[in-house]
Amino acid sequence: MFARLLGESFARNPRRKVLTAAALVIGMAVATATLTIALEVGDRLAREFRSLGANLLVTPESDTLPVEIGGVDYRPVDEGAYLNEADLGKLKTIFWRHNILGFTPFLDVPAYVSETGGATTLIGTWYKHEVPVPDGTKFETGASATHPWWKVQGRWFQDGADECVVGAGLAEKYPAAFAIGKTIHLTQNQVSGDGRPLVVTGIISTGDAEDNAVLLPLPVAQEISGHPGKFRQLFVSALTKPADALAERGERAQTDKNIQLTPTEYDRWFCSPYISSIGFQIRTVLPGTDVHAIRRVAETEGRILTRVGTLLWIVTLAALGAAALAIAATSATTVLERRAEIGVMKALGASNALVGGIFLAEQVLLAIAGGAIGFFVGAGLARFLGESVFGTPAAPRPILFPVVLALAAVIAMIGSLVPLRRAAHFRPAVILRGE
Amino acid sequence: MATLVQVENLRKEFGNVRALDGVSFRVDAGEWIAIMGPSGSGKTTLINILGGLDTPTAGQAVVDGTDVARLDEAGLTRFRAEKIGFIFQQFHLVPYLTAVENVMLAQYFHSTTDEKEAQQSLERVGLGDRIEHLPSQLSGGEQQRVAVARALINHPKLILADEPTGNLDEANEEIVLSLLRELHNEGHTILMVTHAPSIGRLADRRIEFAHGHLVQAAVASLKPELA
Repeated sequence: MFARLLGESFARNPRRKVLTAAALVIGMAVATATLTIALEVGDRLAREFRSLGANLLVTPESDTLPVEIGGVDYRPVDEGAYLNEADLGKLKTIFWRHNILGFTPFLDVPAYVSETGGATTLIGTWYKHEVPVPDGTKFETGASATHPWWKVQGRWFQDGADECVVGAGLAEKYPAAFAIGKTIHLTQNQVSGDGRPLVVTGIISTGDAEDNAVLLPLPVAQEISGHPGKFRQLFVSALTKPADALAERGERAQTDKNIQLTPTEYDRWFCSPYISSIGFQIRTVLPGTDVHAIRRVAETEGRILTRVGTLLWIVTLAALGAAALAIAATSATTVLERRAEIGVMKALGASNALVGGIFLAEQVLLAIAGGAIGFFVGAGLARFLGESVFGTPAAPRPILFPVVLALAAVIAMIGSLVPLRRAAHFRPAVILRGE
Repeated sequence: MATLVQVENLRKEFGNVRALDGVSFRVDAGEWIAIMGPSGSGKTTLINILGGLDTPTAGQAVVDGTDVARLDEAGLTRFRAEKIGFIFQQFHLVPYLTAVENVMLAQYFHSTTDEKEAQQSLERVGLGDRIEHLPSQLSGGEQQRVAVARALINHPKLILADEPTGNLDEANEEIVLSLLRELHNEGHTILMVTHAPSIGRLADRRIEFAHGHLVQAAVASLKPELA
């Protein structure tokens, strides 16, 4: 009988049903679109942010402090600790390996340039380098991935070749010595003969200390310093999610023994791509290292991601709120229109729960229909928005389908709550008197 | 005969208006009572209280051992479903349900539906060929007969009829009254509100109201035969 009542009632007043369904379709379409974008925006913005450069710095745990004057590290090559280049492939074996977008080792070597007679820092690094990964694959990375904003006039050196790029500051200071195509000679000390010849292939502008250094292939720097297969610093570019209270607790728990995560908290922290959990995982594959977040980059990213996420949630809630209000309005009209019917049902012995159930079931059916249509309209809207904002359409998320249906049902129930409460207070005697 | 309805000092106030003012009477099981009086005298208020549609301000209204005044809302709902059969002047059928579905609706609120029994109930009131008709496809008399079938379907202890022929033409009035007489003969207890003295005389007793007071309780000495 319930189904029959529901069916008969559902078939009545199709115009109002269409209006209610339309409100739900619009609300659910906006909710689907914003939720789809919200799920993607973190990933997409994080990838865009990666153009800001690396967000993690890995250094040897027992390294000495650098002795830098005017961008030149005067530490003797024998001082300080080094890391093994051969271990770098392990970075692509951690739990969040797919979030490691790139990494670049740096080896600073104090040296003299014979042509100028002055001290400078050589920075051995990779531009584009294929790193063997333990699973047998190769991963191409280097400064091109972690420092994409570095600008080179001329061209980058080739990996392993006797070539170098010279910082713009140095090139400006010694234009004759560091012109593109010229060969320079590098020595470890001022009296050691002609030194290692390198061809200048480009002038590099970084806006940082590299502008006063000579950048050269890592193997060449290792050879000059006498530390083959070693490096001092590693810049890592990783996709992360904004830090929250758990991320901060997880990070502090690494150094503060008074803070302990419960097993559940630990699992959640470990399985979330927080900068602290990725740093922790890097430390486990590169023992003897310190992993520091490059705060300026990480915090800016986190702030923007949080704000965009909040904005999308506000839009979603506003859309759902508007849908609930529209449903409340149509539901109130329906209840008023069917007041006599409600009065008769109650007079015949229908409980408030049963009468409410009939109206609620009708609204939920409408919600499911409206939610289903809204999901597909919203998926289309998300594609369009994704295309307009990020250049590529946002892929539909089937996982959102049941979520949207459930949301629609909840919204329909919330929207019907006030009218149904009112219906519960209808007194059949008053209604049947025709008042 | 056992007492089915016992009303003691019943009062109902709507703000400053006293719709019922200390009404007391009894009805035995199987009696047909006509409640009469001018408009606003408290007849419908009394029927509503006895049917659990309204609650009294004071006093007792005991139906089949249940004091309606003491029931909460859920209790009143069950009471209406289990003990009362209503016949309204305006029929009050659910417009989008067929005749048989309207009868089944009362079954549904009572316990479980039985379409066959609902059909038999309609056949009994002479609507065997109108089972699948919507109220809008039935005449006033036919709609009231559906309402009678609906009132009877759960075998109520008490049938409350509020001006059951008030909206009917003479021919349909006679059909409905004949149905009520049949029910009475079968032993049903009927409380019927009516303005018409001719209809009131069909009952075993007449209870007359004026301004919320019971002014006369008369036993019908002669029950005129239905034409």
